[in-house]
Amino acid sequence: MVVRFLKQMSAGERPLIYLNNAATSWPKPPGVMEAIAQSLSLPVFGSGRTTGTQGEDYITRARESLSALLGADTPENLVFTHNATDSLNILISGFLAGIKGECHVLTTALDHNSVLRPLYEYDQQHRICLDIIPFEGCSIRPEAAEAAIRPDTRLMVMTHGSNVLGSVQDIRAIGNILHDHGIYFIVDGAQTAGHIPVGLRDLPVDAFVFTGHKGLLGVPGTGGFFLRDPEAIAPVRFGGTGTDSFSLLHPRGMPERFEIGTHNYPGLAALAAGVEFIRATGMESIMEKAERQTAFLIRQLKEESNITIYNEHPDLPIIAFNIRGLQNDDVGFMLARGFNIIARTGLHCAPLVHRAIDGGEGCVRLSLSWNTTDEECRIAAEAIRRIAGNADSTVGQA
Amino acid sequence: MKEFLLDSPVTDGFFDYLRNFGKVESLPDVGEGFYKFEKPDCFSIKGFAGDTTVEVRFKKEVMDLTADFVYLIFSTYRGEGEEIDLSVLKRREEAIGERVRKRLYGA
Repeated sequence: MVVRFLKQMSAGERPLIYLNNAATSWPKPPGVMEAIAQSLSLPVFGSGRTTGTQGEDYITRARESLSALLGADTPENLVFTHNATDSLNILISGFLAGIKGECHVLTTALDHNSVLRPLYEYDQQHRICLDIIPFEGCSIRPEAAEAAIRPDTRLMVMTHGSNVLGSVQDIRAIGNILHDHGIYFIVDGAQTAGHIPVGLRDLPVDAFVFTGHKGLLGVPGTGGFFLRDPEAIAPVRFGGTGTDSFSLLHPRGMPERFEIGTHNYPGLAALAAGVEFIRATGMESIMEKAERQTAFLIRQLKEESNITIYNEHPDLPIIAFNIRGLQNDDVGFMLARGFNIIARTGLHCAPLVHRAIDGGEGCVRLSLSWNTTDEECRIAAEAIRRIAGNADSTVGQA
Repeated sequence: MKEFLLDSPVTDGFFDYLRNFGKVESLPDVGEGFYKFEKPDCFSIKGFAGDTTVEVRFKKEVMDLTADFVYLIFSTYRGEGEEIDLSVLKRREEAIGERVRKRLYGA
């Protein structure tokens, strides 16, 4: 037998079924693809950066559309960055830049490494003392958050929706408690923006983070945050903004305070188109379809006694499971190579969740989007049940 | 992780042959048959019978020591029913095993 060459992923003969939308959504609505092409068909239009007047102001369009979707009254307080992780780094570092000495910070065991790693770095540097609030069931109880507060607690950073368990957290109740104690509240909405209504107008949240390439149906390389009071976060990156160029100090107005360098025009054109698609489709329709398809898959998986589902009632279209007797990456491999179904396996960048639910071994995650069809759900359920039905063989550990 | 594209589909017989060098596990009724070979501390090979591709995962700390052996395993296999002289492979396996143990465990 001869190895002809090494190659990347093979497409296989079956139609591709993509159930990894909590990582990056795919496919994108046709309008998103068209917007990218359109944005590159003319020179970039950027106020203060060209004498040209042709082209669309995609940045303003994306800012206004997204503000409307998230229920934010002040579009200029919506800042664009590279992604959610970038946003969280800016917010956490910017908040701590305004704090003298060490302070106490809270986060949760549901959180992603985009939150955990920046906070652990500051904990290691003795800039903060970090406490992790455990979850019960699939949620952070507001009472648990209140019990974790100390006199020197200044900041809490937490996820809005778990990327493993698909549970949406009660950020209103938690935010009210935190604000009663004067604690700044940053919420990571990477998994919720585009999937459920957010309503920033009256939410007790100081900063809300989003990413463009998941539920908002844009492309990788776009994200950002909404900031209620810009003065609470010090800018930590400086440079060209296309405005106030005579000043050697970075402008402090919004959104220039946090937006540096040339924007990702094609990415923001895609984001605007993705958001416009969501608004035209309607959040209720999106939620109804996601709920129906998620419930169908869970019902199907529950038919197999050797499948463990870690949250049987997720609020988001996310299903985390393991098949007893099989390693999660073997199940992912079989789905991908045997059935051309793309899921995600392993720890999903959320090690503390897995430590609690599966001993840190990881699991298989299915995540749906508006573009997932009922037929794809049926085929996926059948494939998983077939694998589970054969799992009493010699593969993996029991 | 590397994906290897082979000149002919892998067979049940190929994974039987791999049993000479480690542990093979299977789900024969999924697709054409899912197989997984594991050589602890060195590498694993996963694939479906009938496919011309397999996935090879190397233990990265010793990949420089074991990668050639993977190619040797593939190139020595002659197909179903063909006689294979394992003596060269076994000697090579032993020598590599010793170097891997030394690298990983210092003994």
